[in-house]
Amino acid sequence: MSAGRRPRAVVTGLGVVSPHGVGAETFWKAVADGTSSLGPVTREGCGHLPLRVAGEVRGFDAVETIEERFLVQTDRFTHFALAAAQLAMEDARFGRADIASPYSVGVVTAAGSGGGEFGQRELQNLWGHGSRYVGPYQSIAWFYAASTGQISIRNDFKGPCGVVAADEAGGLDALAHAALTVRGGTERVVCGATEAPLAPYSVVCQLGYPELSRADEPDRAYRPFTAAACGFAPAEGGAMLVVEEETAARERGAEPRATVAGHAATFTGASRWEQSRAGLARAIQGALAEAGCRPEEIDVVFADALGVPEADRAEALALTDALGAHARRVPVTAPKTGTGRAYCAAPVLDVATAVLSMEHGLIPPTPHVFDLCHDLDVVAGRARAVEPRTALVLSRGLMGGNSALVLRKGA
Amino acid sequence: MSNPKDYQVSVEELAALMKRTAGVQVDPAALRQQSDAGFESFGLDSLGLLGIVAELEKQYGLGLPEQAERCKTPADFLALVNGALKTGV
Repeated sequence: MSAGRRPRAVVTGLGVVSPHGVGAETFWKAVADGTSSLGPVTREGCGHLPLRVAGEVRGFDAVETIEERFLVQTDRFTHFALAAAQLAMEDARFGRADIASPYSVGVVTAAGSGGGEFGQRELQNLWGHGSRYVGPYQSIAWFYAASTGQISIRNDFKGPCGVVAADEAGGLDALAHAALTVRGGTERVVCGATEAPLAPYSVVCQLGYPELSRADEPDRAYRPFTAAACGFAPAEGGAMLVVEEETAARERGAEPRATVAGHAATFTGASRWEQSRAGLARAIQGALAEAGCRPEEIDVVFADALGVPEADRAEALALTDALGAHARRVPVTAPKTGTGRAYCAAPVLDVATAVLSMEHGLIPPTPHVFDLCHDLDVVAGRARAVEPRTALVLSRGLMGGNSALVLRKGA
Repeated sequence: MSNPKDYQVSVEELAALMKRTAGVQVDPAALRQQSDAGFESFGLDSLGLLGIVAELEKQYGLGLPEQAERCKTPADFLALVNGALKTGV
């Protein structure tokens, strides 16, 4: 670490398991093409429920990817996390040989849905057969902390670990927490979020959200910033990232791909979308201040894009409040309309997309969205060839969290 | 349900239970040979052993002594469990 310079947290690897497919490059290709992977809900036991459209992860074989002793004690959301963490480390070319000490690597994840499928199975055993039929792994598998714990155990990482349970915006907060950990002296942190909310129990929990889209057709279910906005389609999957201290990355020969430059979070209450305007604006201002970034430097905004008219309006106004006249000029995109909204994992996928967008010099479009009804330059239809150097990623949770994160290309 | 007194848990059965309840693959011959090695050396953690105790309790329809889930090695575990099955306690 050079004297006098604040240590930087840089992204060196991306691991993605999403409705668009497994692996960051597969994901990016679909995102850049504006492909939609929204479709009918086909997960077992969900067919009779009034949620018709979601982003399901297909073509992911947990048995092929993860050892049996981890499979039996984990839920699908942790299977995604274990796989995505491995992909992120491969992408970062970070292997066992690079680990000087197990205490130099930490793990931070965020979760908002937990292990619903595993939990439901065990609870059914409890009331169907009795307490002797509940397996011991119920005590760990369905909790939010499961993925952090299992990633650290599987890889023998003993550095600072954490779990952020802070609503969907917690996905960004987890990355910020990882950046803080790295700036505090830990060489690297494997961080991110994955979710598997398409199990019957979990879907029933979501049916109480007025923001959930009940639309039948995949191309109409999730259309933020349009007059036809009718809520959001949920999704499963997510992304894990390798975040490293810049010098530690360079010492092992890894090139920083992006810098986690600034972050801030606020809270404005559950489903109080009008109030989220002030909270989100404040989070954006805080993230810009930490990054030492003027509003005009933002080259692309990855919007929260909830798809609820009142919330979309609040987000558009928050951008104007925080960015001034630049809010009308800066390209705004929401590629998550092509995958659905994977709760805590949604903004982490957006961060992965932002890194790839800066690397490819291409801002991906917002599938299913045209006929905009807000004064924003939303990238619709086709990807836009520009060279973004600074990206702003926004996220709001249904329970009232608002977060903003500023990423800069390289270091 | 078999009569507990007629029944003993073999090394092979323990290996099968480790696989079924905890996903841990272990060769019965190796388990027999290294039966004084810690369960961790086979990849079985304390929750895994708890699951095996619960399976045996279901199978034999009786409660096993509390120490069963605290046994450190396969040899200790089988001695304790088989002793309990013999007396039917």
